[in-house]
Amino acid sequence: MRWLHAEWTKLRTLPSTWWLLGSTVLLTVAVGAAAASSLTTGVCPSPDACHEDTVKLSLTGVWLGQATCLVLGVLSMGSEYGTGTVRTTLSAMPQRRRLLAAKAAVLALLTAATGAVAITAALWTAHLVLPVESPTLRATAGSVLILTLVALLGLALATLLRDTAAAATLGLGLLYVVPLLADLLGSPVWQHRLNRWTPMPAALSIQATRDLDRLPIAPWPGLGVLAAYAAGLLVAGGVAFGLRDA
Amino acid sequence: MTTPTRTPYRSRLHPARAGFGRLLHAEWTKFRTVRAWPVVLGVAVVAVVLVCRLGASGSSTSGGGPVTLGPGGERVVDVFRFTHRPLTGDGSVTVRVTGLRSADGKGIEPWAKAGVIVKQNLDEGSRYAAVVATPAHGIRMQWNFTHDTAGSASDIATTPHWLRLTRSGQHLTGYESADGRTWSKIEDVRLPGLPRTVQVGLLAATPAHNNVHRAFSGTSETYGGGTVTATYDRLALRGDSTATAWKSTDVGGPGPNGPAPNGPAPQDAQPGRTDVSPSGTYTLTGRGDIAPALDGPDMVQMSFQGVFVGVLFMVALGTLFVTGEYKRGLIRTTFTATPARLKVLAAKTTVIAAVTFTTGLLATAVGFSLAQRVLRHNGFAPPEFPDLSLLENPALRAVVGSAALLSLVAVLALGVAAVLRNSAGTIATVVALVILPQILSFAFPLPAAQWLLRVTPAAAFAIQQGVTRYPQVKVNCLPESGCYPLSPWNGFAVLAAYAAAALLLAAWRLRRRDA
Repeated sequence: MRWLHAEWTKLRTLPSTWWLLGSTVLLTVAVGAAAASSLTTGVCPSPDACHEDTVKLSLTGVWLGQATCLVLGVLSMGSEYGTGTVRTTLSAMPQRRRLLAAKAAVLALLTAATGAVAITAALWTAHLVLPVESPTLRATAGSVLILTLVALLGLALATLLRDTAAAATLGLGLLYVVPLLADLLGSPVWQHRLNRWTPMPAALSIQATRDLDRLPIAPWPGLGVLAAYAAGLLVAGGVAFGLRDA
Repeated sequence: MTTPTRTPYRSRLHPARAGFGRLLHAEWTKFRTVRAWPVVLGVAVVAVVLVCRLGASGSSTSGGGPVTLGPGGERVVDVFRFTHRPLTGDGSVTVRVTGLRSADGKGIEPWAKAGVIVKQNLDEGSRYAAVVATPAHGIRMQWNFTHDTAGSASDIATTPHWLRLTRSGQHLTGYESADGRTWSKIEDVRLPGLPRTVQVGLLAATPAHNNVHRAFSGTSETYGGGTVTATYDRLALRGDSTATAWKSTDVGGPGPNGPAPNGPAPQDAQPGRTDVSPSGTYTLTGRGDIAPALDGPDMVQMSFQGVFVGVLFMVALGTLFVTGEYKRGLIRTTFTATPARLKVLAAKTTVIAAVTFTTGLLATAVGFSLAQRVLRHNGFAPPEFPDLSLLENPALRAVVGSAALLSLVAVLALGVAAVLRNSAGTIATVVALVILPQILSFAFPLPAAQWLLRVTPAAAFAIQQGVTRYPQVKVNCLPESGCYPLSPWNGFAVLAAYAAAALLLAAWRLRRRDA
């Protein structure tokens, strides 16, 4: 418990944490509202007559919100390396894996709470703009989980690389550039493979509420791909953390 | 006791007068001596080249049959209903267009055409000049497929209009008139290589209907051939003609040997019709278009997928060049040595821009050449596809432009970093600004997607487009097929504006805030 408290104090007192959490909510809501308002009620008079997946559209903000969550995760570890606090931390709490677990737990709880606020607010705002179908629990909870897992991915990368800039670059490349290349690739086979097995397009399939058979990967397995990346990297980070100098 | 007075050491150089050249040298030394950064540059070059090559190897084509090439060597569509007579030497053809309407019940295409034409011969892709009336774009004079000059905005649906085309040697002059008495000249063009005997006459053509509906779950394009009927009267030919009667041909259409390769698909290859009434009314029904073909893949753009990966590295470098100094406190030493902070910012910007442009140019040039080789191997070979040279536009523009894009992205990151002073935050901001709009544009409804690609720095990727767009051809601009709504240089200017704004903000913050 004291470990969690120590980590909570460190995370809470980073000035960037609250900025990042605030912008996660703001960006998720703003992009979702903008995406929803790009559809006029002339095109979508009622949810049934609409060709768009309105729930997914109003959750578009997750594309941007994940960036701030990733940065939060990166900074929760990277800032310790950046300032040298990590040496003090390790003198006080020498059990490194437990330390990483405590960090991950605090980070996950905080992002999940923020994510829940952001997703709820985004759906509510979109509802004001557009007659949105009632969102499924899967899409809502799944989006919150995406944000949480992305933050953990950032934490894992920062632990592995011990550098904020490198971790942020690699994480953003994984989240944005890989799906972009998947979209532009000429070969459908590789397109399909990338859409199935890279974290971002796969995880976002959880937001779909219609045309489920046209998804490259089913919703829950898709989220599982992201979870596997986050967990795998976190384990690798934990092992490296235990073996290396701080 | 007296203490000996000593003059403390003072540099004879006034700090503010330290030359900009030395400042550049100082910043270059800082860049060069961080061991990781040259390595990152090297990795960036390798990554860009590799992804360009891999991206190209994913695309292949089986050729797609013979294509029509215009007089300039470009791919063209040359399919229309032609009622013609040969004309030897100089002469002119005059007609009154009385109507142009859809013959198949669907709405008429804005670029359907009815008018007079002088054509080298009846082959597809041969030289021509035409004066045409269109439903939505008024009267136009068009020649050799790529050229188009607007005449008056007269609406053929409400009022008949007179058109005239005059040949004098190699010069063709188009005129129009509302009443047949006062004529106004549209354009006088020279068509070198026109033989002494040409075919002159009337035409009727309409491009296919092509409408896009895009919903979140996918894009559907409805595509269908249209047919138009054009009516004319008061047809007059002046000059020497070996034939006394008008003949009709479907240029590029179903001839005695079946449909031409570029003509309408076999299932809807009905021949056009020409009816002549005793009172001198000509009614032509036809389909097709006389225009550059823009439906092929963009071979230039297909070769630059690696640039997206390069952006990541450039963002990291531009950011670290500033935040690295803040992290270690080196910035205080820098500003003590050079109190003119804006000069430091200018030197930093110059160094990072030059370094990233040079490496970027190397990466894009090698990546493009490799990708072209792979594409040619995969079937994108002449004559169906152009043989692109690195030193000619549009390839040159795309190669140099992509390098400049990478360089500007680094400058943008540097500016944002000087404002935020935080690596992770800066990297996330710039990557989200440059890369994210692309991804969202694939998923958003079309108007929102195009808007996104106009106002964000992602617009700059338009510089990689190799297909020339002509205003006289309607195209559906789909982001997933690599189309950007802005023209190459305008798109590039958007990114430049973002970089400039970031630098201005950085200059303001540097002067106002403590280091």
